[in-house]
Amino acid sequence: MTVVTTASRTAARVQDAVKVYGSGDTAVRALDGVSVGFPAGRFTAIMGPSGSGKSTLMHCAAGLDTLTSGAAYIGDTDLGALDDRRLTLLRRDRIGFVFQAFNLVPTLTVAENITLPLDLAGSRGDAEWIDALVDVVGLRDRLHHRPAELSGGQQQRVAVARAFAGRPDVVFADEPTGNLDSRSGEEVLGLLGRAVRQMERTVVMVTHDPVAAAHADEVVFLADGRLVDRMESPTADKVLDRLKAFEVPS
Amino acid sequence: MNASVRLSVSSLRAHQRRFAGTFLAVFLGVAFLAGTLVMGDTLRASFDSMFGSATSGTDAVVRSAGAITTPGESQGVRRPVDADLSETVAQVPGVAAAEPSIEGAGQLLGANGDPIGGQGPPTVAGNWISDPELNPYELAEGRAPERSGEVVVNRGTAELGGLKIGDTTTLRTPDPVEVRIVGLATFGGADGMAQVTFTGMTRADAEKYLTARPGEAASILVRAGPGVGERELVERLTPVLPKGVEAITGQESAQENTDMISSQFLSIFTTFLLVFSGVALLVATFSIHNTFAIVVAQRTRENALLRALGASRRQVTASTLVEAGAVAVTASAAGLAGGIGIAAGLQALFPAIGFPFPEGDLVISGLSMLLPLAVGIVVCLGSALLPAVRAGRTAPLAALRETAVDSSGASRARAVTGAALAALALALTLTGVLVSPSVWLAGGGAVLALVSFVVLGPVASSTAVRFLGGPLDRLRGVTGGLARRNALRSPKRTAATASALMIGVAVVSLFTVFGASLKATMDQTVSRSFAGDVAISTPSLGGGGSGLSPALAEAIGRLPEVDTAVGLGSGVAEVAGQGRALTVTDPVALGRTFDLGQVRGSLDALGTDGIAITENEADQQGLATGDKVRLAFTDGATETFTVRAVYGQSELAGDYVITRAAWAPHRIQDSDRLVAVTFRDGVGADAGKAAVERAAARYGNPDVQTRDEYAQSSAGGIDMMLTLVYALLALAVLIALLGIANTLTLAIHERTRELGLLRAVGQTRPQLRAMVRWESVLVAAFGTAGGLGLGAFLGWVLVTASDGASDSAFAFAVPPLQLAVVALVGLAAGALAGLRPARRAARLDVLRAIATE
Repeated sequence: MTVVTTASRTAARVQDAVKVYGSGDTAVRALDGVSVGFPAGRFTAIMGPSGSGKSTLMHCAAGLDTLTSGAAYIGDTDLGALDDRRLTLLRRDRIGFVFQAFNLVPTLTVAENITLPLDLAGSRGDAEWIDALVDVVGLRDRLHHRPAELSGGQQQRVAVARAFAGRPDVVFADEPTGNLDSRSGEEVLGLLGRAVRQMERTVVMVTHDPVAAAHADEVVFLADGRLVDRMESPTADKVLDRLKAFEVPS
Repeated sequence: MNASVRLSVSSLRAHQRRFAGTFLAVFLGVAFLAGTLVMGDTLRASFDSMFGSATSGTDAVVRSAGAITTPGESQGVRRPVDADLSETVAQVPGVAAAEPSIEGAGQLLGANGDPIGGQGPPTVAGNWISDPELNPYELAEGRAPERSGEVVVNRGTAELGGLKIGDTTTLRTPDPVEVRIVGLATFGGADGMAQVTFTGMTRADAEKYLTARPGEAASILVRAGPGVGERELVERLTPVLPKGVEAITGQESAQENTDMISSQFLSIFTTFLLVFSGVALLVATFSIHNTFAIVVAQRTRENALLRALGASRRQVTASTLVEAGAVAVTASAAGLAGGIGIAAGLQALFPAIGFPFPEGDLVISGLSMLLPLAVGIVVCLGSALLPAVRAGRTAPLAALRETAVDSSGASRARAVTGAALAALALALTLTGVLVSPSVWLAGGGAVLALVSFVVLGPVASSTAVRFLGGPLDRLRGVTGGLARRNALRSPKRTAATASALMIGVAVVSLFTVFGASLKATMDQTVSRSFAGDVAISTPSLGGGGSGLSPALAEAIGRLPEVDTAVGLGSGVAEVAGQGRALTVTDPVALGRTFDLGQVRGSLDALGTDGIAITENEADQQGLATGDKVRLAFTDGATETFTVRAVYGQSELAGDYVITRAAWAPHRIQDSDRLVAVTFRDGVGADAGKAAVERAAARYGNPDVQTRDEYAQSSAGGIDMMLTLVYALLALAVLIALLGIANTLTLAIHERTRELGLLRAVGQTRPQLRAMVRWESVLVAAFGTAGGLGLGAFLGWVLVTASDGASDSAFAFAVPPLQLAVVALVGLAAGALAGLRPARRAARLDVLRAIATE
């Protein structure tokens, strides 16, 4: 069973992660001792109400931000031990990103945006793989267009293709459907799911939308900077119920 | 406080950095302008006071009334007066003292054997006037000359030449005279009169060496007795003076001298600097306009919100203008202070470079403060006007849209207007240059060409940047490609940024091309007209130096290695009522060492009443061989000469040639400006030159130059001039670079999220920096390329127009090496301008960049 063997490895994890913004009276503990691993070959969603620290968790796990204390790992690499240059190279080679908005460089064509991380690394990449990706995201006839000529959904699909172009260890997606209508959002989520199940990729997605979270294999719940729950094989209703449960005590 | 003003103030406070570039551009331009004006006023005032105190003891000056002025010289040559007239004058009641002043050219050799001065300012020798009040120079150390061979020199000259009291050196008058320095003098309290060198000898020596005939003096200085005013003195003197001799008051004489310095030196100096501050301010206009245009574009949402909330168009426009005004006033005021600082610095610097500058306060007139202030404010407000109007036109609905960056390309109307302007410019210039030579047409065309370049900039920028940046994709991969596309994003902005640099580079290239053409012309002239092997010449720049001894040519002519040695002396006379320079020489030898072109008639027997004229002058005066022409000399004599020859080329030989014998009765101080030498057949170039050098050593050791060296030294002044021009243009280029840096910084601010994204997906900091730097280089490359093209075109116009306007042929030369250097400097400057924005962009926090709303 391939799922089981790959699941035994974690693509990314954080250990006792603490992130404090500001200092003194205005200090905010965005992460308050979180330990969580994201298994390879799985689609994990991070959920929680606003201010729960879910975005901070993703940023720190992805090497975009540094932890106040604790450790973050991509595979076996301790991110805290890397300087800015090596962290950049690690992001380029081993991590893919899909942001909520402004995912594409407006001056580059669709094709160039997809291969941007590879081009920055000066590598040619795997032409067959990229070719296959283009078909999966369904943008073959748009390759030479500029981002401004695409719809929001198409733009996000390009971002997904870019995120997977270099076969990264893990793809982090930050509210990838936040700015999309439900049909386009469904398409993008479908793409992420297919990448995990058919292409054996790893995806970690931050979202506040139970419907989006339902596409994941597993959901981890955060509240007030702490990990409060995990849920295997989520559905939108189960997730919604779980979220409602948080709101009662607060 | 008014709402618009309040908005401007808060905006200024929030965006101080954005206006740093604008502030600096205005500051530099105004400081340069104010510094120039203050410096000019101060110099003028200090010359006035220097002359005032130096000549305060002289109450009247007696001199001959008329002067012959040749074209290109402002001073003119005045006929001498009888030195003994001083005794007659001394008898007039009310005269306390009268002494002749004998003046001539005399150049001292320094302790190392090199001549002192002579590169512009005059080198003067004269008699040391014994009456201390009449003598403009004042004995500071040592004593006055008593015996023949003793001299007093001004202290500045002595310091420059490393000479001190008791030293013996040579004075070229131009015949070398052995002199011993017995005293040092000051002029009006300073170490000299600017950089003029002065040597005072005994009256007998002065008469012997500086005048053609003993007993002559340039003028007679008169001091009044107690109770006699200057005007009254002049009135008393006038009746005793012979015909053709006049008396003027000491004050008038001092005024003439200061006016002469003002017109010859100060006006040129200040006009020159003003032109360059004008160029700098023009460049600043583009930088400032660009800054405001970008700021207004970035503030679209804010302005739209204001409009939606009920602000009128006028209020929005006004708030932008008030902002510009605030920057203008502070920057201009700071610029004034900077200008005064520059003037003070120069005042301190001048004595250090050997330019005597009397101590004194800076003269800060109302005009030199108000003018730069007004110019600074007008330039700044004017540049911000269009962006401000655009800000007012913001539609309230724009608040709802994404921040709009003006990425629209050039409009069709712009392309059509620009093309029409360019065609008109070309037609005007070509007509003015080729069809009917006219400086006005050519000049108008040149200005239009500049305007059309600026108008066409946005049209051309896309194509140009795509072309120039073509190699970047291949060389620098995605970093270069991104840089190129960033430069293409807003063609208008790229063009406006590049325009500033374009103007600077265009002026630089214009001067480079013009300078090279002048050099080529000189070179061509020498190789065409000069048929000799070596030349001995005096410095070509200004009125300095003492010329060459007339005996030099004779001495060299006697050498066994030499076939012909001909000296060219200068004389002046009035031909048909107009002052003209004469060439005094041996016409037969002249024909052998110079190519005079086609000669009608014969140069062989000019005798004492024959003259040779160039074809051009002959045509203008309506003369032909055999015609008679009357020449009036400075000694008052008028003689009739017969035109015996008309020759084609005048470049080195001059327009009028007479023999030494014909000139002798009217001569002033004898000197040759050029000695041309041809060797006998079979004499090697080195051996011949060495022999000539040995012979010349006895005549004050002038430089012996081969033909090539002669051509180069003739062009030496041009290089000096170009260096100065480059130094002054550095300011304009600096302002243009500030503009590029400022635009980039603002653009980076606009692209914060995009840069964050690039960093997130793996662009390293060095890659990001390189991207910004390359964008800067590309914009600079566009400006430099445009500037080089425009400058070369304008250079061609200037050269061809000069060619049409003067009778000597002008060569057009494009110096590839120098222009390549200009191009490289432009590119390097672009890289430099990109450094700071690149560093700032690289410091960007990835997370904040992606999170920015």
